[in-house]
Amino acid sequence: MTERIGVYICHCGTNIAGVVDVANVSKWAGEKLADQGVVISRDYKFMCSSLGQELIQKDIKEQNLNRVVVAACSPHLHEKTFRNACKGADLNPYLCELVSIREQDSWVHTDKAAATFKAKAIVSGGVSRVVHNEELTPLKVPIHPATLVVGGGIAGIQAALEIADAGFHVYLVEREPSIGGHMAQFDKTFPTLDCSACILTPKMVDVGNHPNITLLTWSEVQKVDGYVGNFAVTIKKKPRYIKIEDCTGCGICWEKCPKKVLDTVFEAGMGNRKAVYVPFPQAVPKYPVIDDVNCTYFLKGTCKACEKFCPTNAIDFKQEAEVITVEVGNIILATGYDLFDARRIPQYGYARFANVYTNLEFERLCNAAGPTGGNIVLRDGKTVPKTVGIVHCVGSRDKNYNAYCSAICCMQGLKFAHLVHERTGAEVYNFYIDIRTPSKGYEEFYNRLLEEGTRFVRGKVAEVSDFARVPEEEGKLVIQVEDTLIGKQRRIPVDMVILSSGLQSRHDSKDVAKLFGISCSADNWFIERHPKLDPVATMTEGVFIAGCVQGPKDIPASVAQGAAAAARVLGKIQQKEIALEPVRATINADQCSGCRICNNMCPFNAILFHENEMVSEVNPALCQGCGTCIAGCPAGAISGTGFSNDQILSQIDGLLLLNILKAAVPVES
Amino acid sequence: MVDELAFNYEITNLMYASHGQPITNCLQCGTCSGTCPAVEFMDHTPRQIIGMIRADLKEEVLASNTYWTCASCFHCTVRCPADIDVADMMYALKRYSMWKGQFQAGLIGPDFSEAFVKMIVNSGRSFEPLLAATYLPRYSARDIVQEGLMATGLVLSGKMPLLPKKIKGLKKFQQMVRRIIPIGEQS
Amino acid sequence: MKQYAYYPGCSLESLGKSYHLSAMEVSKALGVELKEIEDWNCCGATAYFPVDEFLAYTLTARNLAKAEKTGLDFVAPCSACYKNAFFTNKYIQHDADLADHINYALEVDDLHVSGTSRVRHLIDIFINDVGLEEIKTKVTNPLKDLRVAPYYGCQILRPRKEHEDVENPQYFENLLSTLGAEPVNYSSKARCCGGSLIITNRKAALDMVRILLQDAVNHDADVIATTCPMCNVNLEVYQAQVNREFGTQYAIPVMYFTQLMGLSFGIVPGHLGIGKQQVSSESMLAIAQNTK
Repeated sequence: MTERIGVYICHCGTNIAGVVDVANVSKWAGEKLADQGVVISRDYKFMCSSLGQELIQKDIKEQNLNRVVVAACSPHLHEKTFRNACKGADLNPYLCELVSIREQDSWVHTDKAAATFKAKAIVSGGVSRVVHNEELTPLKVPIHPATLVVGGGIAGIQAALEIADAGFHVYLVEREPSIGGHMAQFDKTFPTLDCSACILTPKMVDVGNHPNITLLTWSEVQKVDGYVGNFAVTIKKKPRYIKIEDCTGCGICWEKCPKKVLDTVFEAGMGNRKAVYVPFPQAVPKYPVIDDVNCTYFLKGTCKACEKFCPTNAIDFKQEAEVITVEVGNIILATGYDLFDARRIPQYGYARFANVYTNLEFERLCNAAGPTGGNIVLRDGKTVPKTVGIVHCVGSRDKNYNAYCSAICCMQGLKFAHLVHERTGAEVYNFYIDIRTPSKGYEEFYNRLLEEGTRFVRGKVAEVSDFARVPEEEGKLVIQVEDTLIGKQRRIPVDMVILSSGLQSRHDSKDVAKLFGISCSADNWFIERHPKLDPVATMTEGVFIAGCVQGPKDIPASVAQGAAAAARVLGKIQQKEIALEPVRATINADQCSGCRICNNMCPFNAILFHENEMVSEVNPALCQGCGTCIAGCPAGAISGTGFSNDQILSQIDGLLLLNILKAAVPVES
Repeated sequence: MVDELAFNYEITNLMYASHGQPITNCLQCGTCSGTCPAVEFMDHTPRQIIGMIRADLKEEVLASNTYWTCASCFHCTVRCPADIDVADMMYALKRYSMWKGQFQAGLIGPDFSEAFVKMIVNSGRSFEPLLAATYLPRYSARDIVQEGLMATGLVLSGKMPLLPKKIKGLKKFQQMVRRIIPIGEQS
Repeated sequence: MKQYAYYPGCSLESLGKSYHLSAMEVSKALGVELKEIEDWNCCGATAYFPVDEFLAYTLTARNLAKAEKTGLDFVAPCSACYKNAFFTNKYIQHDADLADHINYALEVDDLHVSGTSRVRHLIDIFINDVGLEEIKTKVTNPLKDLRVAPYYGCQILRPRKEHEDVENPQYFENLLSTLGAEPVNYSSKARCCGGSLIITNRKAALDMVRILLQDAVNHDADVIATTCPMCNVNLEVYQAQVNREFGTQYAIPVMYFTQLMGLSFGIVPGHLGIGKQQVSSESMLAIAQNTK
C-alpha cells in the first residue's frame, strides 16, 4: 500500500457521540485498518470547525498524508468544507472522502453497541474506497455572454431588462404576437389598484427599444443543443405575413379586415379581433400578424383587403417561417401559467349559465380597452348586475382537481369585489374557505374591502343553480353554500357569478421541460434546485426559471424571481468561465460497441454518438453523474470518474469488513 | 399506552372498506353541508359533526339526529375537496350508535334498521308491511289513517304483497349470516 | 341473444312491479335475455350498513357468487341494488381479507365469490351493449312532443363507479332523444329523492321530493322518468302526501325509463304496467300516443 490515509471521526457535539462511541471507533480504525494504509486516526468534537480543519491540514503536512477519510455528517453538508481544507494543504480535494455516520447511523439508531459497530463498518468502507480515488480537476467551460429568455410576461421582461441594462445581449422569445403576458390582460393590480397596463407598458416599451434585446415575438424555441455556457438554440419565427421593415403599425389593415374572429387568447373569449390583428393597442412590437387559420385569403384565396389598403405595401402573403440558431450562455424560462378550466366543475355552471364568468373573463370586462369599455354588465351587454357572487378556490385546494393553493385568487377575489363596488354599487358576496393575504399591504386591502361593506361568507360554494325555490330566486343564479360561521346552509340569489379559477401549469409544460432538459413536478410546474434556498435555478446548469412557471405567485414575486434569475446569469457571465464538478461518466471508446443503449437512457441528453467511429461519447459539461448509463451499458464500457466500479465495489467490501479477520458482531436486542 | 381510543379513531375503525382520507384531513370548508339535500332537517351540519368528532364531543355527536337524517346520497363524498368519504362516516356513526345503543330519542332509523335486519335474517327478502310496525306507532291517528289508505291503494293496484316471501335456501342463508355475526335463531 | 344474470331486487316484486314488467317486455323486444338469478336474497338496501358492514357485503356477495357461477354480467334494475353490488364486487377484487371473510360465510351454502363478474345497471346494458342505433330501429312510435325530465337520482351516479360524469351526465337524455322524446334540462336531476328517509324521516324526504317535482314542473315536463323503484315510489306514490304537506297540486306522472322505451316500441301500455299508478298517466299517454 502506498497510500497514507488519515481518518477523522467527528463527535458533532452529542449528535454522533451521544450514540456512537467515537473514541472507540477512532482507536479501532487506527489499529484494524492500519494495514490498509491508515497512518493516523483521530476523533474530535467538531471536525467542520476551523480548528478541526486545521487538524487535517496539519496532519497532511506532517504525516505526509495522500488520502483523507472524514466520518461525520452527510456529504450534502460538508463535503465541500473538507475538500477545501485538503486543497488548502495542497492535497487534491477529490482525494478526500466524507462518510456519514450521523444521518446514516447515529440519527437513525438507538442501540449504541450496534451503532458503534455500524460506524466502524462505514469508516472501513470509506477507507477501502478512498484508496481508489484519483486526482481530479474541475472542468472549466467558457460562458457565452448572450442570454435566452423564453416568455415575454412580466417575469421574462424583468429578467431581460436587468441583463440588457447590465450591458449584455438578450434574445427574448415570445410565442404570442406581443409581449406582456397575462398581466397585459388585467385591468387593475392588487393591492395598490394600479392600472396594470400603465405599469407594464413602460417596461414593454423599454424592451422594444433596448439596443441589447433582440425581441422575437410570434416565435417558438424548437431545439436546444449544447450545455451551460454554450447553448445553440434553434428558434422558429412563425410568418407574420407582414414585412416589418415596411410596417408602420398604422392599423389600417386591421380596420379594413372584414373577417371577425373570436379572440380566445387575449380577450378570453369575451370579444372579437380581426384575422389580421395586434392583440391589444399597446402591443410591443407594434407589427400585426395574420392568423392564417382564419384569414379569408388563406381559406378561400379571396379578399386581400389588407394588402389593398396598406399604405406602405407591407403585406406579404408569401412570407415563410424563418428558422434561426442563436448562441447563448444561459437560458431563463419564464413561460407563465394557464388558467384552470372551470368547465371541469359542472356544478358551478360555467359555460352552462350565461352569467357565470371566470377571472380572466371578468378582467377583460373591467378593462377600459375590453369588449364593454370597462363597464361591468351581464352577457346581454347592457344590464348592470345588482348582486354579484365571487367564488374563491375554484379548482384549487381540491383533491378532485388541483390540491395546491393558487396563491393569488383570494387577493384577486377581493380586487374584483372592490371593482364591483366602485363601478356598480352592487351587493357583493365573497365565498371563501380562508382569506389568504400574506404580503405587504394585503391584509390592509382585506380590511378595506370589509369597510366597503363586502359580505364575506365563509363556505366553499357547493353549487350554482338556476332553479328558483322561492320568488326572490326567480330569474337569478342561486349560490348554494354552507355559511360555516353560523352553521347553516344558505341559498343566495345573485345576478352574476365570478369564479376565481386557480392557476395551473401550461398545457405543454412537459414537452417544454424536455426541450430544455429540466423536470416538472407532479403538477407540471418546473422544478427548482431547492424549494427553500434556490428557487430560480434548476438541476440543469445554465437553465433558470422565473415567475409562475415555477408555481403560482403574484406579480411582485414574479418580478423578484425574474430579477434573481438575471442576477444569477449576470454572475455567471462576469466569471467568464465556470468550473463544473468533475464527477462524470466516461465511456471507454475501445470497449464501446456502438449499441447506443446509453444514448436514450441519459436524462440530460448528454451522450453523443459519433457515426464515423460508431462509438458514444459523454459530454462532460452536460453530464450530471447520475450513473444511469453506467448501469445500463451491457459491455460495462462506461465508468464514473469519482465513482468508478473499483471505488464502489471496494467500498462495499469495506462495509462488509471483508478485509478484516475476526469481525466481532455484538448486537444487543 | 393508550387505554381509550380517541372518538375520532373509534369512528375511523368502523369505516373498513371506505377508500377516503381520514376525518382529520377535513378543512372545514363546508362543501358537504352546502351540498347536502337533507341538511335543513339536521341538528348539526355534516361539517359540524366532523368538527365535533375531532373535538371529542362524543355524547353530543351521538345525541345529534344528523347521521340518522343522512340519506346516503354520497353527494358530499364526491364533492369533498379533502377526499373524505363523508357519507360512509355517517354510516360509521350509525353503526357505532347501534352498537352502543345510544341515540336521540324518538328516531325511527335505529328501529327501522334493526327490524329490517331481523326481517331479512328470517326470510331472506324484504316485506314492506312488516316495516310499517317500526314507524306507525309514532304517527298521529290522522297520519296512520292516511298510510292505511295509501297502502290499500297499493294493494288494490297489485303493488303491495299481502304475504311475505321466503327464499328457498333459508336455512343455509341463516347459517351464513351467523358466520358473520351471531344473530337470529340457531338452525 | 345477449344474456345477463338478472337481479330484480325485492322492490320489483312489489312496489316496482311495473318496472319488472316493462323491463321484461323491452328486453324481449331488444333481443336481450335477463336470466333471473336462482333464489336470490335481499341486498339490504341502505338498512344493513347502519348495523354491520361485513354482513351487508356478505348479503350482496351471495347474489354475486350465484351470478359468477353463470359467468354472465350481473344486471340490476334498481339503483340501490346496483350500487351495493358494484362496490361489494369492487372491494372483493381489491381486498383479499374481506373476500376471505365473506367466503368463510358463503362456503356454508357452497358458494364462493371472486369478484369476476361485471356489475351493470339495466339502463347501462341497453345504452352500451345494445346501443342507441339499434334501439332507434325499434322505435315505431316516437314519443314526439313528450317533454321528459330524466331523473338519475343518486345511487346510480355516486360514489364514482367508472369515472363517468357524476355532476352533469347526459346518457339518460341521449336515450330519451333516441326514443323521440324531448329531454328536459333541469338542475335537480342528480339530487337525492330521500330514499329510505321516506320512512325514517318523512318530513325530510317529502321536502326533497317536493324540490324535484317543482323543478320538473318549472321546466314544463310532462313526465318524470326514473331508473330506480325507490325513486319512483317516492316521487309518485307519495306525490299526494307532498301536496297535503305543502299545499301544492302536483299531478305529474312518473314512469320507469323501460315503460317509456316500451311505449316508443309500440307495446300496449297495459303490458308495461302503465295505468296502475297512484298518479294518473292519462295526460302523458295522450301526448305519447298522439303519433299513432
